[in-house]
Amino acid sequence: MAVTYMRKLEEEPSTYDTKFTTLTKGVNNKVRDWVLDRIRSSQLIFEIGCGTGALASKMALKGNDVVAIDKNINMINYAMKNYPTETDVNLLYQIGTVEDFTVEDNSKDIIVSTFMLSELKPFEQQKLLRMAWKALKPNGRFILAAEFIPSGFWKRIFKIKRWWYKKKLRRLRLKTTSVIKWFFKYLEPIGFEINNHKTWKHGSIQALELLKVDVNGNNKPGYYRPRAKKFKGIHSQIRIYRCIFTGQIDHVPIEPGLYKSGNPNRNSPIIVTANYEYTYIKVMRDLKGLDAWVLCVDSDGINVWCAARGDDFGNNQLFEAVETTNITTITDTRTLILPQLSAGGVSIPQLPKKSEGFPFKITFGPVWSKHLPQFIKEKPGRKSDKMKIAKFSLSHRIRAGITHTTFLFRKIFLLPLLALALIILGFNVLLGLNWYNKLYWIGEIFLWIIVANIIISLLFPISEFTRRFIVKGVFFGALNVIILSTLTWILHNSIIFILLNVCFYFWIAFFSTMSFSGDTMYTNPREIQGEYPIFVRINKILIIISLVFLVIGLIIY
Amino acid sequence: MTQIKSDSCCSPSAIEIDIPRIFINIATCTGCGLCGEVCPFGLPQSNGSGKYEIKSSELCIECSACARNCPTQAIMLQEQKGCGCLWDARARKKNPSNSNGCGCC
Repeated sequence: MAVTYMRKLEEEPSTYDTKFTTLTKGVNNKVRDWVLDRIRSSQLIFEIGCGTGALASKMALKGNDVVAIDKNINMINYAMKNYPTETDVNLLYQIGTVEDFTVEDNSKDIIVSTFMLSELKPFEQQKLLRMAWKALKPNGRFILAAEFIPSGFWKRIFKIKRWWYKKKLRRLRLKTTSVIKWFFKYLEPIGFEINNHKTWKHGSIQALELLKVDVNGNNKPGYYRPRAKKFKGIHSQIRIYRCIFTGQIDHVPIEPGLYKSGNPNRNSPIIVTANYEYTYIKVMRDLKGLDAWVLCVDSDGINVWCAARGDDFGNNQLFEAVETTNITTITDTRTLILPQLSAGGVSIPQLPKKSEGFPFKITFGPVWSKHLPQFIKEKPGRKSDKMKIAKFSLSHRIRAGITHTTFLFRKIFLLPLLALALIILGFNVLLGLNWYNKLYWIGEIFLWIIVANIIISLLFPISEFTRRFIVKGVFFGALNVIILSTLTWILHNSIIFILLNVCFYFWIAFFSTMSFSGDTMYTNPREIQGEYPIFVRINKILIIISLVFLVIGLIIY
Repeated sequence: MTQIKSDSCCSPSAIEIDIPRIFINIATCTGCGLCGEVCPFGLPQSNGSGKYEIKSSELCIECSACARNCPTQAIMLQEQKGCGCLWDARARKKNPSNSNGCGCC
C-alpha cells in the first residue's frame, strides 16, 4: 500500500532498510524470512534489485552462490560496505538492470526479486519473466515478492493510501511506481506455475514461488497475448465518457499488446496505436470489423499525440511492443501503419535494423482513426489533406469544453463550494437564519462555468486572429462578461450584483481559454511557455479581485 | 535625427536574429515528401522543382515530426519539449530539469 514511497527512501541507502520496515510495518522482514525458508544451500542464485543487499548477504551466508544486481549505484556501494566478513562467501554485487544484464541460459537454480516488480511496466514485467525463464535451469524457481492490489473492501483502503503517498511523492517531484495489475495473467502463457503463494496485509503484499515449466516443449518461454477487449456496447461507452470527463488529468491504460479486429490472417495489415482506452475503443470502432491486427504499444495510458510529444510513444515503445508480442512470427506482414501523430515521437531513420530484430517498414497513416479503412483500402502514396491535416473541429472543441468544465469543478470549485454550502446550511439551521438565497448563489457559480466553457468551445475559431493565448483569454473574458452580465440581468435585475461579479466572469473565461491551449494541437510549447509567467501574474490579480468582490457579494446580497 | 534608445543596442533583444523557426536545406532535400506526410498542418510543400519548402514557418509548433523522420536530415529546427498544455508549461517553468512535464498528458 505504501510501498510506492520507497522511491523517496531509495535516496538514502543507509536508512533505507529501517525506514522501509516502518513503511511496510515489518512485513518486508517477514517476506525476507519467507524467501530464506524456500532456499536451502549450494544453489546458484541470481537476485534482481538487491537494494542494500540485506537478503543477498543472508542467502550467501546460507552457503549459496549469489550474484546480485541493482541499478542504483549508491545501493550497490552501501551493499559493498556491509559485505559479509565471514570467509568462503560467494557473493557478487553488480550494477545493472534486467535489460542490460546477460545471464547464461539454463544457468541458475533460483532467481529472486523482492519489491522490484512495481518499477516495471507491463511489457517490462513480461520481459523479466521471459528473461528469468531462460536463465533458470529446468525446474528452476523464480521467487518474487511485491505489492499487489488486494481485492474487495481492502482495495478501497489500498487505493486511498496509494493516492496519499502519490501526492507526497508528487510534492517531492519523484515519479511513482506502477500498480501491478495484470501480472498473474502472464505466468501461465510464458511458462510458470505457482508452486507456493503467501499473502500479507489482506493481499496487498504477496510473495510467489514460481516453477519453470516448458510450455511449448521447445525449451523457449511463451508469449502472453491479452484477451479480446470489448469496444461496443454500454460499458465501453461509459469508458469513453470517463476519458472525456477526465481528459486533462488521468491516464487510462488498457493492457498493451496485440489485439484483433475482425479475423486477421498472416497477410492482414498491422495498425499500431496507443494503449489509452479511449484511443483503443475509437480505433476498433472505426475499423468496423475490418480484418487487421491492432498493436497497442505501452504509452502509459496516454493518447497518441501527447504520448509522442512526451516520450511515451517513440522508437523504444514501438520496438518493445514488437519484441514482446512476438508479432514477427505471427504474421508475414512487414509494414506497420502508425498513426500520423506518433511521428512526433517515432523516428524512422533511428529505428533498429532488420538484423536487430525489427524487420518492419513504417507507414504513417491518417491523423484520425475514422480514415483508417479508406487508408488501408487505397494505400495512398500521398495522403489527402483531409487525412493528414489536424483541425480543431467543433466536435473536438465540445469534448475539450466538457473536459475543462469537469476539470474546473473537480479540481478547483467542488471542495471549497461544498464547504461553503455546508457552512451556510449550518448557519441556517443553528442560528435560524434564512440564507437560502446564498445557497442558490453557489449553484449559479456552476452555471457560470458551464456557460463560459460553452462560449469558448463554440466560438474558439473567432480568436484565430492571434496565436497568443493571453490575447485569446482577454477576448473571451470580455465576451464572457457581456454574455454572463446579460444572463445575470435577466435572472436578478440588479446592476450591483453584476458589478460585483464582473471580474469573476472575466477570470473564468480567461483561465479556461488559457487552459484550452493543451487541446488545440496547434499550440507551440515554446510560445505557451513564454506566455506562462505573464499568465501567472494576470491570473493572481484576477483571482484576488474576484474573491474580494465575491465575498462582498456573498455577504451583502 | 532619430535618437537611439539607450537599451536598443545592448539588451539581449536587440541582438536577436530573426531566423525562421524551421527551414528545409534545399541542398540535402531529396524531395521524398515524407515531411509533408507527417506534418499535422501540411506546412512542408513541394516547390515545383522536386524539393520541399516550408510555406508558413510561423505556424510550426516545433513538434519535430518532420525533422526526426527526414532520411537526409535536411530539416533544421530546434525541437521544443512539451505538449503545448498550460500545465505542462507550468511544470517546466517551476522545474526546468523536469523532463516529464506535468505528467497529465
